[in-house]
Amino acid sequence: MAALRYAGVSVGYDRTPVLTHVDLELRAGQRLILVGPNGAGKSTLIKSVLGLVPVLAGEATVLGESPAAARGRAGYVPQIDTLDADFPVSVRQVVMMGRYRRIGWWRPARPADRRAVAEALELVGLADRAGHRFGTLSGGQRQRVLLARAIAAEPRLLLLDEPFNGVDAVSQEAIVRVLRELSAAGTALVLSTHDLTVARELADLVCLVNGRQWAVGTPGETLTAGKLRSAYGGGLVLVAP
Amino acid sequence: MIEPFTVPFMARALTEILLLAVICGPVSVFVFARRLSFTSDALTHTVFPGVVIGFMAGQLFAGALVAAIVTAVALTLLTAGGRVSDDAATAVLLTAMFSIGVVLVSRRSSYTSDLTSFLFGRLLTVTPRQIAETAVLAVVVLVALAVGARAMVFRTFDPAGAAAAGYRVVWLDLWLNLIVALVVVAAVRAVGTILVVALLIVPAAAARMLTNQLVGMAVVGTVLIAGAGYGGLWASWTASIQYGVALTSASSVVLLLVAAYLLLVPVRLLRRRRRDPVVPERNSAHELVG
Amino acid sequence: MNWWDDALHRATAEVVLAGALAGLVGVQVVLRRLSFFTMALTHATFPGVVAASIIGVNILLGGVVAGGIVALGVAALTRRRGQDASAATGVLLSAGFALGATLVATQSGFSRDLSSFLVGSILTVGPQDLVTTAVALVVVALVLLAGARPLQLIAFDRAGAEAAGVPVARWDIVLLLTLEVVVVTMVPAVGTILAVSLIVAPAAAARLWTDRLWPMTALSVALAVGSGLAGLWVSSRWNVAAGASISLVATALLACSWLAARIRLLPARLAAA
Repeated sequence: MAALRYAGVSVGYDRTPVLTHVDLELRAGQRLILVGPNGAGKSTLIKSVLGLVPVLAGEATVLGESPAAARGRAGYVPQIDTLDADFPVSVRQVVMMGRYRRIGWWRPARPADRRAVAEALELVGLADRAGHRFGTLSGGQRQRVLLARAIAAEPRLLLLDEPFNGVDAVSQEAIVRVLRELSAAGTALVLSTHDLTVARELADLVCLVNGRQWAVGTPGETLTAGKLRSAYGGGLVLVAP
Repeated sequence: MIEPFTVPFMARALTEILLLAVICGPVSVFVFARRLSFTSDALTHTVFPGVVIGFMAGQLFAGALVAAIVTAVALTLLTAGGRVSDDAATAVLLTAMFSIGVVLVSRRSSYTSDLTSFLFGRLLTVTPRQIAETAVLAVVVLVALAVGARAMVFRTFDPAGAAAAGYRVVWLDLWLNLIVALVVVAAVRAVGTILVVALLIVPAAAARMLTNQLVGMAVVGTVLIAGAGYGGLWASWTASIQYGVALTSASSVVLLLVAAYLLLVPVRLLRRRRRDPVVPERNSAHELVG
Repeated sequence: MNWWDDALHRATAEVVLAGALAGLVGVQVVLRRLSFFTMALTHATFPGVVAASIIGVNILLGGVVAGGIVALGVAALTRRRGQDASAATGVLLSAGFALGATLVATQSGFSRDLSSFLVGSILTVGPQDLVTTAVALVVVALVLLAGARPLQLIAFDRAGAEAAGVPVARWDIVLLLTLEVVVVTMVPAVGTILAVSLIVAPAAAARLWTDRLWPMTALSVALAVGSGLAGLWVSSRWNVAAGASISLVATALLACSWLAARIRLLPARLAAA
């Protein structure tokens, strides 16, 4: 079963499409990278998979169900700058949020939940920061905490919105390593970026978008000068890798 | 220091305030974190028509409850989207509902004294029955808070993440607005609108300067209310018995709370200088509703 | 008999002047999301007004001083990280109201003053109030006219205005002080609730009809004056509180505008579907 299948999908708000003609298929353990300029619709596409933005046309299947029905089953790592750095919450509490749906409304956290949180923090290399306030960490460390939160929920499909934005080199390396481990364990990954170097290095599949889907395929097929120029318009200056 | 509270009506007033301290400490943490100061202020004004209609029908409590629930739902819907920005919508709902209340009382003869008792409550004439009602509402509020706390913390910290995890954000917002509304209903008759607004806003804002933990904020907030409640009642008693000055107990409690807030501002500054790295400011002074 | 000797005539003139004043500044309040700050200002000027009347100086002076302290206090408290503006505004609102109430309580005639502070007593405005409101109207109109371009830039694109070299912080202070002058002028005559209502509701309604600043301002002024006159008529016709009926008319106008905006957008929505 495909983790994610989009056929001729348009997504957008208020019946106004932001992104059209999306055709994708992602299997367990594959890494899909969404590439496109700012405002291309990458975040909107991710939110449509999460069931937060409606699918206006076409057929979308997420983990075997419609995105709305699958809501809560796919993991999500938001952009760090959308969060309030001043919020009085510890790193451990943030990662525990990934377990909240399992814990439910009434029950206190169980040892299994605490173990999952500790393991997720260990995986992203921040076990020693568990007691710190979230806002005192650097941008890259915060991004890794959010990744740990998503891992603690043990999703089969994980979506990351610009995980490398404003992230230092050490954290970027740590995130890339964790993502490789996750897909080796069978998690399907979708992440957006406008960093073509990371895309080439990490992707099994690349989806090139800007208002519509321009190309989909392996990095070698899609990240060509011609296809990038058509997706980005005339403004793109390509630097040879 | 204990002697004033051997008088039964003073003991009842203190009991009422302590009950409110137990619920307002935790609730104010959410009001602070979700930036619901204006919503709380609005709710205290919008129960007014309910109180007036309830009073005329002899069902004051029910009237306040209905008005509070209606406003909580309306505020949730108004802030969930639309072209009228949420602060303007809140302001208009507040003034409109309050005006309905004023239109209703303005046809009565005891107009101004009704309004005054609504503003200040009748803390010194709290009856055992009112205390029992407050206690019941306090239990309801605490249970509602305990059930929703985790989800509401998640939603407050990261709305998109909470929605992606499958929580219905609008329902969580309604849940919290209803909790605040219940607090207002529990408190407004006894302590008046002025004190309710202060109890919902000031404790957590002051506690935030002492601690970085949500639970710690709730505890400190409760302690602050209890202290200010005791001190305010004692001050108003002493002022009127020994000096013959009419000092309304509700406003002395508020003034003590605000004094605690102002005293804690330097504490916060000192703590930050020692511990936190310098991070650019998030707030402009003029985008006043978050 | 002089036309001005009739209380209803004076109230009519006051409503027109106050409506124009509120409509003018209301557009800025709505665009900059300053509603809660306006509410806090109305409550926080209260102790200043009471204190001034106790020590026997001009009550406007007391209001201006108290309002200035609050505006600067909110600005100072929110400069600190972790003290968000909404909580700081709420604290000052509670403090101002409680302080004012405490001062009032030490005087006689307690509840009468308090209720007129809240809902105003527009039917008892004197010639002095009219002159003050007229002067404030002229001053505020001139300030807003002089600052129209920078304020417009800041309201629609704050970062862009900053980049273009507009002294954003200075204009913010000008705007807050202008708002303070409006509140201090209006509250003694019309009360806090009506002041907030007249400032926010007509401007929010005008915002639903247009995105351009000048038409929005004109419409906002017209709606505010219109609600004032209609509310006054309702009040004298059915003998209900004047301030409350004006505020309800303003709310009704906003509700109608909202419905109309919905209906206007409907064809576009259907076409898109």
